[in-house]
Amino acid sequence: MSSFFKSKTAQLTIMILSFLAVFVPYFIDVPAMTTFSTKLMTITAIVSAFTLLLALYSQFRRGYTFIQKRKRGWIFKAYMMISIVLMLVFALFGQETGPYNWAMYAIITPLSSVNYSILVFYMASTGARAFRARNTRALLLLITGFIVLFYQAPLTGAFFPQLTPVALYFTGTFVAAVAKMFLISVTVGAIVFGMRVLMGKETTILGFTKEEAS
Amino acid sequence: MVNPLFQVPGIVSGRALGLIFVVVLAILVYYYMSSGKKIYIRRVPGLDAIEEAIGRSAEMGKPVVCSFGIAGGGFDYWTMAGLAILSHVATLTARTGTRLIVPTGGSDASLIVRPVAEEIVRTAYLLEGKVEAFDSNDLPFMSGQQYAYTGGYIGILQRTRPASVIMTGSHASEAMNIAETSNAIGAITITSGSYISNVAALACASDYILIGEEAPAAGAYLSKEPPLRASIRAQDIYKAVSLILIIGGLILMTAGSDIVVRLLVS
Amino acid sequence: MTEQKTEKRSIYRMLVEYDRRIIYLFIFVLIIAPLMQPFSLPIQVSPGTMTYYNVINGLKKDDIVLVVFDTEFSGYMELQSGILASIKMIFEHEVKVAIAVSHPEATGIPQLVFDKLKGVMDQHHYIYGQNYINLGYIFPNEASVASTAQDFHSIVRQDAYGKSIQGTFLDNVNTWKDWTLISDYTTGIQSGSLINHYGLRGTPMIVNCIGVMISTQMPYVSSGIYKALLESMRGGAELEYLTSSPGPGLTAMNSFTLGHYMLMIAIILGNIGYFGYRSEMSRKAKEER
Repeated sequence: MSSFFKSKTAQLTIMILSFLAVFVPYFIDVPAMTTFSTKLMTITAIVSAFTLLLALYSQFRRGYTFIQKRKRGWIFKAYMMISIVLMLVFALFGQETGPYNWAMYAIITPLSSVNYSILVFYMASTGARAFRARNTRALLLLITGFIVLFYQAPLTGAFFPQLTPVALYFTGTFVAAVAKMFLISVTVGAIVFGMRVLMGKETTILGFTKEEAS
Repeated sequence: MVNPLFQVPGIVSGRALGLIFVVVLAILVYYYMSSGKKIYIRRVPGLDAIEEAIGRSAEMGKPVVCSFGIAGGGFDYWTMAGLAILSHVATLTARTGTRLIVPTGGSDASLIVRPVAEEIVRTAYLLEGKVEAFDSNDLPFMSGQQYAYTGGYIGILQRTRPASVIMTGSHASEAMNIAETSNAIGAITITSGSYISNVAALACASDYILIGEEAPAAGAYLSKEPPLRASIRAQDIYKAVSLILIIGGLILMTAGSDIVVRLLVS
Repeated sequence: MTEQKTEKRSIYRMLVEYDRRIIYLFIFVLIIAPLMQPFSLPIQVSPGTMTYYNVINGLKKDDIVLVVFDTEFSGYMELQSGILASIKMIFEHEVKVAIAVSHPEATGIPQLVFDKLKGVMDQHHYIYGQNYINLGYIFPNEASVASTAQDFHSIVRQDAYGKSIQGTFLDNVNTWKDWTLISDYTTGIQSGSLINHYGLRGTPMIVNCIGVMISTQMPYVSSGIYKALLESMRGGAELEYLTSSPGPGLTAMNSFTLGHYMLMIAIILGNIGYFGYRSEMSRKAKEER
């Protein structure tokens, strides 16, 4: 019985039925199917939350082996595992107040904010280094970039309102066109990828290697 | 509010064309997959850059750092492309005897993708007959949190000083941090811009960039698998159709006809 | 011992080969200085912000608005000005507000917002459970967004504090149709899911996104899925100006302006150095021949 459910055929069948359960009600209004698809998506949401438990188990198992063998950097692994346990305890007993709140807003969020803020330095040094008018196309790009940068600075936007329609034209046409092109490519790519999965051609998602799948 | 050009009884209003597009796409993909034809995909210039970068690393005796992205959506379109390129990089590094480091993490879903990446690298080394050179510690899991992953990745770059950094798959804002650090340590930086907002910044910070669809196309080219090539062909056909609709719609709208708009809202 | 001749670097070569840490230092000073010593600079309101302002102004009393904090805490730092200005306007219109969060880091943001807007909330008699509810982290993935769009109460039965939502204004919310407006403050976590399951079905949406996302969100504005888009911190500052509620956005605009100018100057100097160095090298090559 378990070997049947582990087989590629069974997994693909379940996947295709689940896909149809969600796909069909979007196009054909059948109330019973809509209710069923909602329940299915609710179950999916709950099951995917449990993958975090799986991740936790995997991390602890690897971490324990790492610390036992005293590999290089084992102290950081130990620190990570202690932090996970502490945050779990804080969250279970303090929920969103007390030590959990303190750890989130005194440690984690400042650290992630700093990392995000570092981007401005990198963007600036990249821009200063990379924007060279080596040829005509690069020069045109540079001029366009300058107009948009000039407009984006609030002070010049206020003193030179003539720049507004030009900058809005660049962002509203060229940039929007590229964004739309990307959206079309990515959407079609995602649909085709989904079809490859449903047709059983993407075995890695089901957890099979190429040899096992063939 | 524009009136639709046609309505199919039983289908929710405004979604009939979408359904037709999806069904036709499915038929196209199936046709190309089962036709057995050898589908031509041009070699993406970024692939030459990857081979050049690994060659440089081998000559300098320095490692290669290659990542498949933060896999924010699990096994999504970009992550699969990143894994295909990782397989190719692992094959080349095994062949040349260069150390390969694959930092993983960046999202909760990356935990599920990591074992697959490990298997891909191990298989590449096995096929090259150098399985003893494979070390699972060279695929460290940084963190499920994006910026903790970034910090760990940058730390690896600063300590190991690789000769080349290959960042494919889906990356968000951390791509800029990593690309700039890679540039600062003097490594050849090859990235893929899966996120339109990243493309401009990565184009400035990297030595080579695979823009948008070039990364999945590179993955399809390298893997030589018919299903991947078939999907790229089907996508190209759809892009051609989109182009025709855009240009045709533009001309017809200028001429005073909204037939294409009405078709698209059907 | 032979003397090593050190070649004097020309000004052009220095402009091309400077240490990038000089840029970092200038950026740091130009961003920090206006924050330490604020001064006011004029600001122009863009058409996009005006549209955003008009959409919120069009809300009527007792409309039901879903506010989604679709951001990590690092994103909140950039979106703070837009969040505070928008939600202040929303509260001033005395609508019913449900707040949801799509990232674990953002679970504390609702309370931060309530603390900052306490005066406005008291003025317009906002009582928890009657006029506003904090639903907490209910959008961890697309499946949960999809479920709430089709049957809200199947997935959401209690608020962030564990209290049942039965008997509140959310009793009237069942599907995507029942929301008057969705106000999304996003770094891109669940914005796509909200578009797929709410926006494309017809629920009006307004979005405040971070700077790097602006180009990706424009197609949704031009296609009408988004009624309006507030562009990053600058849009937030413009909204603060429009609503006469100066806050972190307007304060940061000085740093914003100086940072932009610094970048433009660095690019100009880099190009001067590049062309100067290039002509220097070609002149030296001619002399050697």
